[in-house]
Amino acid sequence: MMDMSFEKKGRLEDIVVWPGDQEVDKFVYTPGIHGTEFAKGLKDGKILGMKCKDGKVYVPPLTFCPDFSKGEIAEIEGDWVVITYTIVYEDMYGNFLEKPKVIGFLKPVNGEGGLIHYLNVPIEKINIGLTVRPVFKEERVGNINDIKYFE
Amino acid sequence: MRPNIFMKDRVAIVGAGITKFMRRSLETPRELAWEAATQALDSAGLTLKDIDCVVTGSAPDTFDGVHFKGEYIADGSGGISKPITRVYVGGGTGVFIPDAGFWHVASGLCKKVLVLGEEKMSPAHPHPQYVFKYIWDPILERPLEPNLIWIFAMEMRRYMTKCGAQKEDIALVSVKNKRNALDHPSALIPANITVEDVLNSELLVWPVNLLDISPVTDGAVALVMTSEDVARKLTDTPVWVDGIGFTLENQHWYNRELSFPRYLNYAARMAYKMAGIERPWKEIDVAEPYDPFDYKELHHIEGLMLARPCEAWKLVKEGYFNRDGELPTSPSGGLLGVGNPIAAAGVMKVAELYWQLRYEAGKRQVKKAVHKAVANAWGDLMQAGTVIVLSN
Repeated sequence: MMDMSFEKKGRLEDIVVWPGDQEVDKFVYTPGIHGTEFAKGLKDGKILGMKCKDGKVYVPPLTFCPDFSKGEIAEIEGDWVVITYTIVYEDMYGNFLEKPKVIGFLKPVNGEGGLIHYLNVPIEKINIGLTVRPVFKEERVGNINDIKYFE
Repeated sequence: MRPNIFMKDRVAIVGAGITKFMRRSLETPRELAWEAATQALDSAGLTLKDIDCVVTGSAPDTFDGVHFKGEYIADGSGGISKPITRVYVGGGTGVFIPDAGFWHVASGLCKKVLVLGEEKMSPAHPHPQYVFKYIWDPILERPLEPNLIWIFAMEMRRYMTKCGAQKEDIALVSVKNKRNALDHPSALIPANITVEDVLNSELLVWPVNLLDISPVTDGAVALVMTSEDVARKLTDTPVWVDGIGFTLENQHWYNRELSFPRYLNYAARMAYKMAGIERPWKEIDVAEPYDPFDYKELHHIEGLMLARPCEAWKLVKEGYFNRDGELPTSPSGGLLGVGNPIAAAGVMKVAELYWQLRYEAGKRQVKKAVHKAVANAWGDLMQAGTVIVLSN
């Protein structure tokens, strides 16, 4: 019987291949109209949201509200609630992490929407419903990592 | 003659909206979509709550750099908690979106459909042109380091030789479209240029010079399509969709006569048959043929049977396709003048015909009376043809 592709070939050296690449290796994303304000807010150590006609403040701000009208930038203050979380033990390449990372999905008490961010909470204390607050870095550049973590 | 097309509802276009076409927009793809969608809804006198279904289209995810673009732009397209579909046939997507909007309404499935095309090409670096490289065969062609313009250059050369057209004849299309675009508020590269300017612009891939090509663009365009009963309540001047066509020619471009676009001709015949049009060269009053390159407009005029094969370049010299000519083509300014945000560009062409048929095109309004109009787009590995026929 001739070699068929379903016979397992584990090594690239055993088969004829044509190597290829895709040169679009970099993207430049703009944060958008209200997203630019959001970025500036982070630089100032604030989390900005968008106030809509329904009276709610949505985070992050997307320029348009769920009802399709344009929102107004408003600061979001107060506590955030852990809606769910996970604990990361391995990185993308399968390396074991000495210090596991805790990632949470967090919702502002005074707003709608939410953010995903690191949690600096001992693993034995972390739980759904926990209230946390953002901790900003000293040196800020205007991106999401200006928030060091929530705790 | 109308064939048996099993339509539950006759389909109308009742609103249109368009963003500015830009080289590097601050807006995110979702925000571009929202701008066009809100404009289209406002112009139709509707709100998002009235919309039953949403049809969106966008070309490769690699441009915007988000690998679920249909869902990514869904909230800006008004598609949250509604049946939403994304269609994609490369550059042909722009006209395929209203084609898909048509079958949503004609089938009776939805009464009011928001139809939207979005493209943000500027995020891809070092240049969005590289994205097009991956449409070539990875085994036989990519090792030669091709780019998209190779295809067009070879097709253009074939057309020139088969049809006896010179570079300066073809350049007239670029001159016409960029001039038409001077009156389009969304236009990215409108200009008053001469044939000499085109011939003397940077030579990229012979015979294609820089001014023969449409630019990299960000933008979005939306339409509102409804059934007849809804349209009659909303407006006294709905624009009707009389026919749609979409076909694929052979899979690869080796076995194809490049001087005549059969991929388009098949789609055009399908749309004309549905619309009951037997002599398009006499019955069509205004057209928006797809013009990513200047010779492509001539190619598509012939594929749409608005001129005989190899005769479009002669007619363009006589001013036949000018805004005040016998059969105006690309009165909007086309992709060459308004810009080419891939999927949005085709919807821009359909929006232009909508405004022309309602006599709302302002300074762009063609001189003659208009009743029937046709637009097309073209894409995938250059073999997908999409067509729409409209009337007032």
